[in-house]
Amino acid sequence: MFENVVQGIFSATFLAAILRVATPILLPSLAALISDKAGVIHIGLEGTMLAAAFTGVALSAYAQQWFGPETGRMVGPWLGLVGGVAIGVLMALLLGFLHLRLKADLILAGIALNILGSAGTVAIMFELTGDRGSTSRLASLTMPFITLPTFIRDIPLIGGFIYDVFNNQSVMTWIAFIAVFVVWFMLYRTPFGLHLRATGENMAAAQSVGIRAIRTRYYALMLSGALAAMGGIHMSMGYLNMFQRDMTAGRGFIALATPLLGGGNPYGTAAASLMFGFFDAFAIRIGTLQIPSQVPQMIPYVATVMALVIYALQTRQTQRFRALRATGVGSARTWRTLQSLSVLHVLLAMFAVIGVILSVGLFAAPNGFGGLAVAYPWGAVISLASLMLIGVNWPFIARLERILEQPILSAAVTISSLTIYLALFLLLFFSPIAALLGGLALSLLLWAALGGLGLIVGEKLKLHVST
Amino acid sequence: MSQVSATRRLGLPTLAALFALLVAAFVNIRLFGGSLNDLIERVANTADSASILFVNLLVGLSVGLFVWQLSWSALRVVLTVIVALLFGFLFTMSFNLDAANQYIQGAFEVRVLSEAAPPEGDADLAYGEEKGGEFNKPGVRNPLREAEYTFLGSANDVVSVLAYAANRRSTVNLEVSLRDAQGAELASANSVSEAQLARFGDVLRFRNPNDAVIEDFTLPADGLYTVHVRPEPLTTPIILAESFSATRFAYETFLLGALGRVNRWAVWIQDATTLIFVGLAIAIVFRARQFSLGAEGQLYFGALISGVLALNLGTFSPWLVIPVAILSAMTAGFLWGLLPGMLKAYLGANELVSTLMLNTVAIRFYELILTFELKPPTAGYIASAPFPANGQLPPLVAETQVSIAIFMAMAAVLLVWLLIERTPLGYEIRMVGSNAKFAAYGGVNTRRTIMLAMAVSGIVAGLAGAHLSMGIHRMLIINISLGLAFEGVVVALLARNNPLVIPFTALLYAYLRAGAQFMERDANVSFEIVRIIQAIIILLITAEALAAFFQVQRAAKRSAVSPSTDAPQKEAGAHV
Repeated sequence: MFENVVQGIFSATFLAAILRVATPILLPSLAALISDKAGVIHIGLEGTMLAAAFTGVALSAYAQQWFGPETGRMVGPWLGLVGGVAIGVLMALLLGFLHLRLKADLILAGIALNILGSAGTVAIMFELTGDRGSTSRLASLTMPFITLPTFIRDIPLIGGFIYDVFNNQSVMTWIAFIAVFVVWFMLYRTPFGLHLRATGENMAAAQSVGIRAIRTRYYALMLSGALAAMGGIHMSMGYLNMFQRDMTAGRGFIALATPLLGGGNPYGTAAASLMFGFFDAFAIRIGTLQIPSQVPQMIPYVATVMALVIYALQTRQTQRFRALRATGVGSARTWRTLQSLSVLHVLLAMFAVIGVILSVGLFAAPNGFGGLAVAYPWGAVISLASLMLIGVNWPFIARLERILEQPILSAAVTISSLTIYLALFLLLFFSPIAALLGGLALSLLLWAALGGLGLIVGEKLKLHVST
Repeated sequence: MSQVSATRRLGLPTLAALFALLVAAFVNIRLFGGSLNDLIERVANTADSASILFVNLLVGLSVGLFVWQLSWSALRVVLTVIVALLFGFLFTMSFNLDAANQYIQGAFEVRVLSEAAPPEGDADLAYGEEKGGEFNKPGVRNPLREAEYTFLGSANDVVSVLAYAANRRSTVNLEVSLRDAQGAELASANSVSEAQLARFGDVLRFRNPNDAVIEDFTLPADGLYTVHVRPEPLTTPIILAESFSATRFAYETFLLGALGRVNRWAVWIQDATTLIFVGLAIAIVFRARQFSLGAEGQLYFGALISGVLALNLGTFSPWLVIPVAILSAMTAGFLWGLLPGMLKAYLGANELVSTLMLNTVAIRFYELILTFELKPPTAGYIASAPFPANGQLPPLVAETQVSIAIFMAMAAVLLVWLLIERTPLGYEIRMVGSNAKFAAYGGVNTRRTIMLAMAVSGIVAGLAGAHLSMGIHRMLIINISLGLAFEGVVVALLARNNPLVIPFTALLYAYLRAGAQFMERDANVSFEIVRIIQAIIILLITAEALAAFFQVQRAAKRSAVSPSTDAPQKEAGAHV
């Protein structure tokens, strides 16, 4: 059972699945990024995605009636895409009009758009199909899947792997990853992008140098609506082949968090979206294990909250780090080590949150995990271990200087925590002792690679921290 | 001058009291029937009528509070709701555009009657025989749109051609014509008169006014004739009229359905009680200008904790079980609100995203416990066992879910009002809400305030959960709430986040929600209409410059007439 899951995770099909499930997060994430950069964060992404997903399905189904089955099947998906994007742009225009012209609160108007998208799709679906759950009665189409030329498989070593990952992906997935580059180019290499960013930084200043800030914000919202709509189209015409009530399941909200995590640029956003794709695909994959399906279903949402926390902690660490560096003297290498180690402490503590949640599940619903006799001991072990991991790392997160003041303690904490995680991971492949030793060796290597040794034996930094 | 202020001071409360009495009287009259005698008799015959009258008095009271607290703004709230309802009417009408289709679909039969002897020969019909089919059958690939039947006739035969609905359910509106062998139309009809209905009563036994009869036509020659029958084509006025009347029927159920019977009234009141809690929860965070929608998750935890206690403490006295369960639900809500509060206050995590994510986590956790711990092994669906009687909120009105939760709601309204208007924390919440930087400058601990606002809001949301589990469902079910946090947003916004107005807006919105349920049941219009109306209400309320926008439009029109102001306006436009 475990072996299946593990093999699944390290296969090309799993990477392909990550790309597939990351697409409906990546497209709205880019949408959130653009609107955020322009200073008008588009909260209505979720509703936009739903409206576009439904429009695409309905149009592609009716295209077959309008144009006959042959032509219908050809133009249907593209008609759906165009219609969905048009709806997304229209909803964004509505939001823009309400916020920019009628001075409506951006967030509340966005919430209203979400309700409108969720309710409107269900109401119209009920009208068209008499079904409130899904459009399974409509013979809707999917966007074409792109088949790679077979010569790629003949490339030595990596060819087969690449072929398996990228072959037969929806055209929307390709569009999504191309859009990352397009958005980057637009934001950082065109006058419009400059205007957009300037408007977001300071609207009055932008206006004072002649930028049409209001118009720029309208354009930003429209672009953002179009991107979110494409994400919705992928949900109903690629990820699945029908529309389901509230099928986006919060992806439009997760997308609001990814740009933060990605450092506010398109490539970082893409990386963050892939991370969420990984969590999503992972949740689907371990759904095959005999554990309650609710636990893996929590993963993407917990990951989002954790991402918000990690981002916030890291921002705080960076500020703290800058303040320290301004007062202290030392080589650049030592400072770099300090920064990496502080980030490592944050990550090590945050991963333990998953353990806490798992142990809460074990304690609260032992029947789901094979009865009291199994669940409680495991719950006790996991919760103690997780709390300990958070507890030992916390002092170094709360006071960055401790890493310098007590380098040996910091090293012990870092290496032991890392060993636990890595050993747990290696346990999936090797015997316990081998896993423990391997984990220890890897942790030592990583710690040394970050320059931890330098802090212990090297120069001591002189800090002039005023109390 | 003192006289003026005295009238001012008394005028509004008097008006409010008047409205309160009017609404209470209206609700009672709708509920119990028309004339005074009827009313007294039915009140006497209804179980727990005193409680019903008391609750209706509270309904009136909340209307009075609404008028008193909001004065002129109340008018804007009412207008907003009316405009949103009109939008909803248009949506419903567009959904009902197919209402006229009933006249072009249905089973029909055709019969040719004659006294004369039928000629020998091969044809579809002989005199006195019937043939039929079904027009535009739904879900059929190539539906029947028109039908033709042949019959043989002799010269000077007097025939009557009858086309009629074949069963009681069929409402098809028929049009029939008689054609000769060359296809030329000899006679046609699309209606049936009273006399014809009487004459052919044994054939037209359903007395459908949409049937069509060609009466006593004398055939010109021997030969083959064709009866051509089809549904009367629809015209735009018919489609619009049908759609309008179907929508009017739907809206009648929507707007008055909740007052039809006591059990429907109870659906309204119990839903309003939940919405009061949720609306209060949202109003507290909105007062601090935190867009937290965590009420949903807090509600799930409140329901879970109170449900578990109600199930397991059933042997104890209800005086112990209910307070303990309610307090635990409040605590659970507090803690689940504290978490995003801390994340926001101390780490700056966006509260909208974090609460929505935590909601899903809470819901999954609830489902986990429900599925694996609380579901009886024999149950075929995922739900806990029904709570023992000691674990249910005692009902006020027998056989309904209107329970003592109403008193809890009254207390909650008062306490939240006290908290916001009369305590230091409330003052800080209002300060942070109006300007967080200024509040910090003035010495308010904004982090603590934000955190506590979100946590205190969780207390009230937890109460909503306790009400859902112990008062309404009286067991734990999956999807115990479907997006109630969003309903709370509209309730709080309509009330302008004023706790004293929330009972009214909750009642108003619950009235629409209950009406929408009955509309879906009785008129087959999707319940989601009410959520569309909800979205429109939020949009209209937040669009602060809406009134100004229309004034500007009018001013622009007026100025466009006078040429003198035209030029400078254009110039001004170029700068924008």
